[in-house]
Amino acid sequence: MKKKPMFLKVVVVMISVFALVFALTACSQPKAEEPAEPASAPESTPTAQPVTLQIFAANSLEKALPEVQKLYTAQHPEVTFTDSQFKASGDLVEQIGAGAQADILITASAGSMDTAAEGGSIDEATRIDMFGNDLVIVKATGSDVTVSALEDVKSDAFAKIAIGDAATVPAGQYANQALNSIDLYTSDTGKDGEYDPAFGEKVVLADKVGTAANYVATGDCQIGFVYTSDLYRYEGIETAFTVPADAHKAILYPGAVLKDSKSADVAKDFLNFCLTDPDAQRVWSQDGFEVL
Amino acid sequence: MPITHGNIYRKAGMSALLAALCLILMVPAVLAWADFAPTQNSAPANNPPALVEVSRSGTEARADGVDFALTGFERFNEGTSRKYQGTSFGYRYPMSSQDAFVVMVIDEHNALVYLPETIASEMVISAAHSDFEAMLKALDAQVFNADTKLADRDISYEYTVERSVVRGAYRYDFVVEVEPGYYYATVTAVTAETGTGGTPANDTAPANGEALASDAAPEKDRAGALFCESGLVVSAENVLIEQAPTGFAALREFFTSLDLRPFWVSLKTSMVAMIFVFVLGLLAAQFSQGISGRFKGVLDSLFTIPLVLPPTVCGFLLLILFGKSTAVGRWLLNHGIELIFSWPAAVLAAIVVSFPLMYRTARGAFESLDPSLGDAARTLGWSEPRIFLKLTMPLAWPSIAAGTVLAFARAMGEFGATLFVAGSYPGVTQTMPIAIYFEWMGGHSNVATFWVFVVILFSFVVILFVNWYAAHTQRYRRASSDVEKGETSPPATRFASLTAGPKEDT
Repeated sequence: MKKKPMFLKVVVVMISVFALVFALTACSQPKAEEPAEPASAPESTPTAQPVTLQIFAANSLEKALPEVQKLYTAQHPEVTFTDSQFKASGDLVEQIGAGAQADILITASAGSMDTAAEGGSIDEATRIDMFGNDLVIVKATGSDVTVSALEDVKSDAFAKIAIGDAATVPAGQYANQALNSIDLYTSDTGKDGEYDPAFGEKVVLADKVGTAANYVATGDCQIGFVYTSDLYRYEGIETAFTVPADAHKAILYPGAVLKDSKSADVAKDFLNFCLTDPDAQRVWSQDGFEVL
Repeated sequence: MPITHGNIYRKAGMSALLAALCLILMVPAVLAWADFAPTQNSAPANNPPALVEVSRSGTEARADGVDFALTGFERFNEGTSRKYQGTSFGYRYPMSSQDAFVVMVIDEHNALVYLPETIASEMVISAAHSDFEAMLKALDAQVFNADTKLADRDISYEYTVERSVVRGAYRYDFVVEVEPGYYYATVTAVTAETGTGGTPANDTAPANGEALASDAAPEKDRAGALFCESGLVVSAENVLIEQAPTGFAALREFFTSLDLRPFWVSLKTSMVAMIFVFVLGLLAAQFSQGISGRFKGVLDSLFTIPLVLPPTVCGFLLLILFGKSTAVGRWLLNHGIELIFSWPAAVLAAIVVSFPLMYRTARGAFESLDPSLGDAARTLGWSEPRIFLKLTMPLAWPSIAAGTVLAFARAMGEFGATLFVAGSYPGVTQTMPIAIYFEWMGGHSNVATFWVFVVILFSFVVILFVNWYAAHTQRYRRASSDVEKGETSPPATRFASLTAGPKEDT
């Protein structure tokens, strides 16, 4: 007796779920493309085709790059940016290797860009060194720890030290190169080595440089190795010690257009814009990137 | 009669409970906001003296009883040695405009303040250096950066109206028009001779200073300053200080600026996943009923294993399977199916991790049914699909519904596998759990907090619904079983068996 309505219910539920899903897909589709609509309306040349660029960039660029993207869209209303990814450079290269689509790759080390080049993902002709940065040891704001030399990281005062995971995070590789100079890390490339056992116990590996900064800001680690530019995007950290530039390889951010890019010309123009536009220069200056 | 009576009580009690729990959940949420909202604005504000007002944008400052104000303030932490059209300008920092002031922090204890001549004379700023510095420090303290605050340092400020000044081994040029309409303050290491000679030969014409620029050693130029700040001095009347909102205004601003897409992505992903899981789960449960022996155990383990495996393992396997690096993935790519790092991948991940919940619940429900019912139907000539749709499904429906809701909640909470195969693309694959992780890691703990409470609330409602639904169907069962065979109520144990697995009181 009750069986029939039960079955009806199943059907009703299924139908309403389908209806909801279609409603959702229908209403969320324009949402994603929303930024494209108002931007393409004014002053754009009639011939300009709407272009969408996707950028994979080193995690440290997470704050500055979107600001520069906005400047570019203001000058080129037909160009919009979607789904920019800011992760550890090694992760991005792996992601591209695994089939992720993007137009531009900006990494925080020459090494990770080399890996991408070896994988055949980038257009080598477009590769250019874009920014310089510095490696610093940070502490939580107001914390009374002192680091006056690199050797001080051996101090027992630090129970936890945040370092990017060198397997994917260039900041971790630079840090390890510096640690190698004081015999706390076995490999001078900063990769594929071992920490000195006593020191290694204190190291907390972070999946990207921002995470290392966050570990220090929250007090989970007393000190951490990050870039100077991270100071300008994370609240609650301050410089304890600036690592001498000769203790590690020069920190360079190479950028390149990816081979699979469907808008390579625009992508190339954007890279050039990053380096030459005076308004973009202000953003880089404020956020602590030295344009090369 | 007593049934409806109990009904009312139960309903009233439940709504009261719901309301109370919502309140309990909301209290920490509000507290958390009350906690973070002021800290964002007040933390930097404790440095400047009380009389200085700084706008929320951190670009304007005004002080009580001072007739000038600062606007367009910017702090430049790095400059650039980049040449412009082949010409080197030393290490250069942008200036806010042609008429801007520049504070060049030379080292830990000295700063050079360039003031345009008109301002210096008009505003009698020389009599008001302390006001200028107070405003400058207040603005500097507002910059999103806890490092090298002017207010924390013992810095002596040297004022100048000269456009080119030599201090120590460096020459500082101001208002250098590097490209049309854009002005810079430049730092150039001067050679030993010019330095010791002490003749600021380039005093008059900063333009020909290029000749002296040492384009060989940009590193040297860079060492001439720590950072640089720039802005405009204007009449105080022209400056309107916009204060940051507090209390409810801040809350409203937070909500209007909030990106709600993670919620829709989550909902969309788990709903589509649920359609697949519902069908596949039921089919798998029904199918595994039909087979027996050792193979059944193997199959059961295979269907259940995503429940036990860490989601990252599922994600890894999916990535291997569908990524560019394997034959399957390449075959799919060649046939125009780009699955990885797209929305379908998020759905796939959700399906894989929530499937076992659906499967096990459905199987438990099917196994607990009296097999003689099916046999009876068969003797009546019912086809197998008909038995499934008209007999098995309705009888097992309460468990299946509860299983669906649980699987839905699991799909909604999926994190590891989704991140692996679908990544975190805002508005496409960034679901609520992924948003929580990335917002927190990105330093936006307030947004993360918001999503945490949304998820808690959502999960709570789901569990409440499951319980309510179970109670509801149980009541109907009890009512009918009262009539049919008295007090025994096997469905009472049915819901408890939801998560317990297939072994049942058959």
